[in-house]
Amino acid sequence: MVGLACGLLAALSALLLIKQDSRTIRRISLILSSLAGLSLSLFSLQVLISRRVIEVGPFDLVPQVQLAFRVDSLAALFILLISIVSGAVSLYSIGYIEESTSGPRRRLFVPLQVFFIFSMLFFVAADNLLTQLVFWELMSVLSFFLIMLNYRQAETPKSGLFYLVMTQMSTLFLLMAAVLIYGATGSFDLAPLASLSPLLNSVLFLLLLVGFGIKAGLMPFHKWLPYAHTSSPSSVSALMSGVMIKVAVYGLLRFTLDILTPQPWWGVLILALGTFSALMGVVYALKEHDIKRLLAYHSIENIGIILIAFGLYLIFQQYGLFALARMCLAASLLHSLNHALFKSLLFMTAGSVVEATSTRNIEKMGGLIKKMPWTAALFLTGAVAISALPPLNGFVSELMIFLAFFQAFTLANPFVIIFLFMCLSLFALTSALAAACFVKAFAMIFLAMPRSAAVAGAREATRSMLIGPAVPAVLCIVIGVGATRLFNWLGYPQPLPDLLFLSLILLFFGGLAALLLKLTARGGSRVVPTWACGLPAVDSRSEYTASGFSEPILTFFRPLYRTRKENKRTFWDRWSSVFKEGSLEIHTLQFFEEKLYLPVVRAVRALSDLVSRSQNVDLDTFILYSFITIVVLIIAAGWLL
Amino acid sequence: MTLSFLFYFLINTAFVVLVSPLFMGLTKKVKAALQGRRGPPLLQSYYLIAKLWRKENLFSANASFISRLSPVLNVTFLLAASLFVPVTFIPPSTGGMGNVILFLYLMVMARFFLALGGLDSGSSFGGMGSSREMTISAIFEPVVIIVVAALAFSLQSVDIYRMFASSLAVPVTHNAALLLICAALFVVLIIETSRIPVDNPETHLELTMIHEAMLLESSGPNLALLELSHALKNTLLMALLINILVPWGLALQFTFPAVALAMGAFLVKGWLLAVIVGFFESVMAKSRLFNIRVYFIVAFSLAFLTIVFELLI
Repeated sequence: MVGLACGLLAALSALLLIKQDSRTIRRISLILSSLAGLSLSLFSLQVLISRRVIEVGPFDLVPQVQLAFRVDSLAALFILLISIVSGAVSLYSIGYIEESTSGPRRRLFVPLQVFFIFSMLFFVAADNLLTQLVFWELMSVLSFFLIMLNYRQAETPKSGLFYLVMTQMSTLFLLMAAVLIYGATGSFDLAPLASLSPLLNSVLFLLLLVGFGIKAGLMPFHKWLPYAHTSSPSSVSALMSGVMIKVAVYGLLRFTLDILTPQPWWGVLILALGTFSALMGVVYALKEHDIKRLLAYHSIENIGIILIAFGLYLIFQQYGLFALARMCLAASLLHSLNHALFKSLLFMTAGSVVEATSTRNIEKMGGLIKKMPWTAALFLTGAVAISALPPLNGFVSELMIFLAFFQAFTLANPFVIIFLFMCLSLFALTSALAAACFVKAFAMIFLAMPRSAAVAGAREATRSMLIGPAVPAVLCIVIGVGATRLFNWLGYPQPLPDLLFLSLILLFFGGLAALLLKLTARGGSRVVPTWACGLPAVDSRSEYTASGFSEPILTFFRPLYRTRKENKRTFWDRWSSVFKEGSLEIHTLQFFEEKLYLPVVRAVRALSDLVSRSQNVDLDTFILYSFITIVVLIIAAGWLL
Repeated sequence: MTLSFLFYFLINTAFVVLVSPLFMGLTKKVKAALQGRRGPPLLQSYYLIAKLWRKENLFSANASFISRLSPVLNVTFLLAASLFVPVTFIPPSTGGMGNVILFLYLMVMARFFLALGGLDSGSSFGGMGSSREMTISAIFEPVVIIVVAALAFSLQSVDIYRMFASSLAVPVTHNAALLLICAALFVVLIIETSRIPVDNPETHLELTMIHEAMLLESSGPNLALLELSHALKNTLLMALLINILVPWGLALQFTFPAVALAMGAFLVKGWLLAVIVGFFESVMAKSRLFNIRVYFIVAFSLAFLTIVFELLI
């Protein structure tokens, strides 16, 4: 209740901003919204522990249209996720908004952000298809406006439009599913539909998978994600990447777990799509040099991992391995929480870096660790967490998935075992490639020497832009180290190694090594120019570039990238020895854009051209249309009645 | 945490740390002998660590706290990993400290910071070493996981302590699939410890360095810690292979004669494996970076075959 009150105050004060551009009101509003985040997270934690179910409503908007809300354990977990991340992002935004936007857009930023967070919270708490659709659409529209805040930049209108179309398509699929459910049961309630025909069950599942998959960034519906997350302001990217795509995952989980009856092939489909997303997400991330695009592709990869875990849950559930299935579901939910935390951390620190250096290109950065040490430490925490390294939280969820895969060999069906074997190797590849990508990202941004003058003048971020990311960073460490304790405390014990014990061991050995160094190593230390095997004067042009770093990996994956080089040269003489002019074009195969999205766009355009030709006619033809319609109606009415 | 585990904690770690440089020296001696040289003394690695410890720590002007922390972090993670592989006696399971995936990822964490340290000084060699190291680790991670999955499936446990105990109970002659998996583990050993044909641990030519390149800018005690970490990783992976294949001598309880016997047995077995590794390195040439796919296929197929055999039997 306190949380809602705080949130309402934040919303109201944000609305005041539309009228007047005042820094104090912005600050108050954002602080209130972070307080709301804190109290809502405590509330949801309490619901999780006590396993209560809270129902609110139904409220009648108009007769027949009711809004109802219900918070059970699953909803409580996602509310926890949303509130922690949005609280941290609100804190971060206090400083970020001052630095990054100006003019009338500043007035809109905070209200849009606050209402966006609220629409997501109410979607998760919804108990009614209508409520869900209302808040889903509200969330989509508000996020569109948030993306378009930087409308002066060249690529933002394209990203915004792409995002709007994709999100409306996702709403379309959800609407179709809602209509089918209403047709089958006669009500909009979210109750288990046990008596559906198998065909309707599967059709609903596919519609919902596509609808939520588009919003979650599942391949092949992922194309909007890199555009949208790159063009939007960093706090918005943090919210969208950390929270909004999880809300879509929540929708999919809710429908598959509670409402529909799972079929055997659903698990295999979700596992296949998840593995594909995970692998291709990280493979495309490897060649990115735009920091926000890189993080966006990693979001696609992690959604893939969440769905790998969920697919495993469905498969094990079908084969009766219930304990294993529960571990997979726990892994999926934990990874959603983990990803929300470390992705928002990474986006926020990346936003600080982008603001400090006015560039998103990591090939132009370098040496920022000396100018922005705290931001670097926070980014490092996020990088270690996302690479699934112990004892942080990313490792815990991936460990659970690995343990589940390892025990999958006890299944009865040999084909499923082979399929799981393949998925295991691709999953391991994904996690290793993610580590490589983040070594590259962290090193190119923060280590060695600055690669451009703009970067040389960077300064550390302001306090709020450090406190904001610090919250998820601390939680990453706490959740990672205390994972077994946390699971026991919440009442879902898992067979995991005790990472707290490991952390104590690590602290002991680390302390021992450091002490030994300090006490016995008597040589002292000195700062000297880089040795580099005795080569002279190392300057920023001799250090490794991001392209150079990822070149070996890209060469291994060359068949996936299909880089096409077109080398045109003309010569003055017929022996081709005196060069006249030439051009070299390097094209990466934009597989999904060229083969999937653009053909659909062209077909829709062709169809609309056809229809518009029949509309731009003179009055006589319109009268003819009306006459034909009336005749057809009379005949049809006479026939049917 | 029982008293038994506390003793294990101290004894196992100390033994592994003391023995690791010896195995490195032994492999070098074998390679030298096959090249017709006398080679460095057997205890050269100990002399190297002692010598480096006394020297001055030189840091590049471009380096940050990463260079200063990375050696300590490396040795910390590898010392923690040494708890996962019993070479003296098998303690009771405590807090899941035998989980094979955690063991692998502790080594990945050490490699993460080693790679960052290589890039920290801004030299091209460090960058090249880090790039190649992360590439090789990325390409071979699926193989390592699948080999470990096959191992876990064969020995019916993800806990290394129980794997060793069940391998003690059922000798490998009764379990043919284990031989296949040990061949795959040998390939993984060669890859993970940066040996020919994947990397050359004794090279000083920039074109052939991977692991050495990341250590190039370190000096003094930091370099000593990094060399020790490399030796530790080598020993731990050797111990994994040895105690799966020929676990005889490994004690099940903490009694003085049993532990002494285990230490002696491990020294002998490690000696043999180090000689085999040295021999293997000498008969092969270092392969091109992009030709290491062959070893991927070899280890992957061996692991796959193991799983198929286990499923059929």
